[in-house]
Amino acid sequence: MEIRALLSSLWRSRTGPILVAAQVAVTLAVVVNVAYIVQQRLSVLNADTGIDIPNIFWVTVAAQDPNYNFAAAVREDLAYLNGLPGVVAASTSNGPPQSWWMMGLPFGTTQEQLQQPSAVPARVFLGTEKYFDALGLKFAAGKPFDAGIVAPPATGMNETIANWPAQVVVTQALADKLFPQGGALGKTIWVGLVNRPSTIVGIVEHMQGVPSMGSKLAEMQYQIVFAPIIPAGPTAFYLVRTQPGKRDAVMARVEKEIADLQPGNRFVQRIETLEKTAAQTRFGMRSSVIILSIVGVLVLAVTMIGVAGLAAFNVTTRTKQLGTRRAIGATKFHILRYFMVENWFITTTGALVGCVLALAAGVRLSTMFQMPRLPLYYLVAGVIALWLLGLLAVLVPARRAASISPATATRMV
Amino acid sequence: MLLHDVRLALRSLRRNPVLSALMVLTIAVGIAASMIAITLYHARAGHPIPWKEDKLYAVTLDTRDDEPDQGYSRHPEYPPFQLTWRDAQSLYESKIPRHAAMMFRSNRLLSPPSRTLKPFDVVVRVTTADFFPMFDVPFRYGGGWPRSSDSAPDNVIVISKYINDKVFGGINSVGRELTLSGKPYRIIGVLPAWMPQPRFYDLNFGGAFDIPEDIYMPFGWARVEPPRPQSLSCVRNNAKVTGPDSIYTEDCVWLAYWVELDSRAALERFQQFVDNYTRDEKRGGRFPRALNNRIVNVSTWLEMNDVVGDESRMQVGVGLAFLAVCVLNIFGLMLAKFLSAAPVTGVRRALGASRVDIVRQHLIEVVVVGLIGGLVGLLLSFGGLALLRLMFAAGLESSDNPARMQMLQSLNHMDFTMILLATALSLATGILAGIYPAWRIGRLTPATFLKTQ
Repeated sequence: MEIRALLSSLWRSRTGPILVAAQVAVTLAVVVNVAYIVQQRLSVLNADTGIDIPNIFWVTVAAQDPNYNFAAAVREDLAYLNGLPGVVAASTSNGPPQSWWMMGLPFGTTQEQLQQPSAVPARVFLGTEKYFDALGLKFAAGKPFDAGIVAPPATGMNETIANWPAQVVVTQALADKLFPQGGALGKTIWVGLVNRPSTIVGIVEHMQGVPSMGSKLAEMQYQIVFAPIIPAGPTAFYLVRTQPGKRDAVMARVEKEIADLQPGNRFVQRIETLEKTAAQTRFGMRSSVIILSIVGVLVLAVTMIGVAGLAAFNVTTRTKQLGTRRAIGATKFHILRYFMVENWFITTTGALVGCVLALAAGVRLSTMFQMPRLPLYYLVAGVIALWLLGLLAVLVPARRAASISPATATRMV
Repeated sequence: MLLHDVRLALRSLRRNPVLSALMVLTIAVGIAASMIAITLYHARAGHPIPWKEDKLYAVTLDTRDDEPDQGYSRHPEYPPFQLTWRDAQSLYESKIPRHAAMMFRSNRLLSPPSRTLKPFDVVVRVTTADFFPMFDVPFRYGGGWPRSSDSAPDNVIVISKYINDKVFGGINSVGRELTLSGKPYRIIGVLPAWMPQPRFYDLNFGGAFDIPEDIYMPFGWARVEPPRPQSLSCVRNNAKVTGPDSIYTEDCVWLAYWVELDSRAALERFQQFVDNYTRDEKRGGRFPRALNNRIVNVSTWLEMNDVVGDESRMQVGVGLAFLAVCVLNIFGLMLAKFLSAAPVTGVRRALGASRVDIVRQHLIEVVVVGLIGGLVGLLLSFGGLALLRLMFAAGLESSDNPARMQMLQSLNHMDFTMILLATALSLATGILAGIYPAWRIGRLTPATFLKTQ
């Protein structure tokens, strides 16, 4: 077919095609970047947490009596919770995992490293030896801390940290970061702020503290230290894991019973499934994924309308020429192909400009959200998608053009 | 004349209803997308206390040691946003500011006097007396406490409207007693619904768009019982946490510090005072970094804390890019439409319509499309924002505090400015998309079209 004729005809009435190409360019820039952001967020949202989320709930119990014996009450509460039928394990902790609640400390392999930028920040979760069973975490090596070493509750957060114990469990991600050569089990790590050493007695295969975006935070979400400490009172926090299907029944029973089991004028302050906590944490990211996806689809739809509109206009204004071409021997297929190729040129021109725009926007976004640069295959996929959608959009008007009968040429003089 | 043009435009739009509907819808979707994004941005970018822009200042001291930046903050040059106990106490000595407040957020357990209400956790602001006059906090009943209550702890509190409604049913509760974590306090003031947006005075915990605290308590309590601030971080090299008292003695930051200064001269003098103080401390080995004490007004403070946020900037960017696609689209469709109706225009020209008449008539047609699209878009954005509200209500932590819910809701509320902006945006869309097609059609010589007929 005659590409030169097609191009020169495009050039002669260039305003329309230029507009469509510009539209394609902006669309590509928007859609590719939106898709990338959405994909990045989805990968964080759907990442494996390592936690048995559906079977866990947490409860906080507060006391109004100023002379409340917190340490004794916690001991009794743990015995009660762990003895309930349907409960796999229960532990105290300093806050629910999978929430924004956060305690962090720097760690190092030597005391000197704590003072250096190579010190590794990690989230710290406090718990008893049952903490790991209460979350359903798997051990890659070693075991939970000894029951005997769990530090009793102190008077406040500062004292709690100051009483840092001699044993810790870490996640594999943190172990790899501190000991790149491996063999972390049994090694000593130093705890920042309190400047104390602790021995690694166990390594947890995998756990995600909280879903996070941004390179530094994303790295930190898997770097976790577990310490055998019962946090300070007077409000107790318990994590309870049940057998599958028994969560709600156990939760109802605990809510009804636990407060009055110990003296101190106690009450259940808050009781919540970990499922709900985790969903709330993801709420912002999840809604932005939905909104961005809707916008992406709408942008594509608008551009398809633009492409189809231009083609339809061309069919109308060229009716006479098309009839003539049919009369002198062009087949329906030739006409169809002519519109398809013409559209392909417009889309491709737009897409090339769009690639430059997309990369420029991508650089800006990657610094904004601390994401890796936009991978090039996103551009390739975007260009292919726009080709296909463009051809789809042009199909209806092109078929109308192909169906123009050769007689039209003779009728209109 | 204008009316005639509008009538012509409507007739032309009716002639091709599918195309017209498509154009209106395209503009509407574009306007809605950008308006929703701009509304959310606008709500975050507001100034909570504009009348004190050159009076109120947040004070930050660079207590950090020479530890290299870890790359967690985008602005490693900013000092920590809170002060240590020692520094706050020293600055509080200065007589230069008209008002000064050191403060932090904490929790207490509230045991209501009536048995029917369960005890519940409340958020407490422990602050010096100047908090109320400095931030122009209004009072429904009673008032704040004198500065003397800040040194010797006094069992007095100010409560929010929420607490007053929940515990006392909204009556004047001044003089009543309330038990917080086992200690009795006398209520001396009740606030009305007070909701600075963003909650500029303390952006450290709970985010910028949360409601203010439930209860306000004299700073004296920070001296006699463990303070338990909600936000605490320690300088790595200097701080050695050894026990409950470390919070007072070590380089751990947990106090927000604000001053009200009467004039530029006072600001300069106060900056001098603060710098001299850190120079003195340097001799004792603290403040190893170069002098970097920032005393900033509310706008700068909000910017430093990045209250607007990249998410909302990105949304505005995507929204406007979407609108640009829509403008290009209308541009193309209008051009096609005008050109295919060129023979009619040719006849009009031949019958004596001037070039200006033709351009105006076509431009008005595009503007009409733009405005109808804008109107539909406005409705769409109201719908979209309502949907977002529903999403928020379902997804966020439920709360029986109406103020909290109202605060969250107001974040996606469209005010009059936004409606004006939407109108302007749709007008601009119409003109931008229509000016070239209208000009192009006006330039055609009538003869060409008359000949082909």
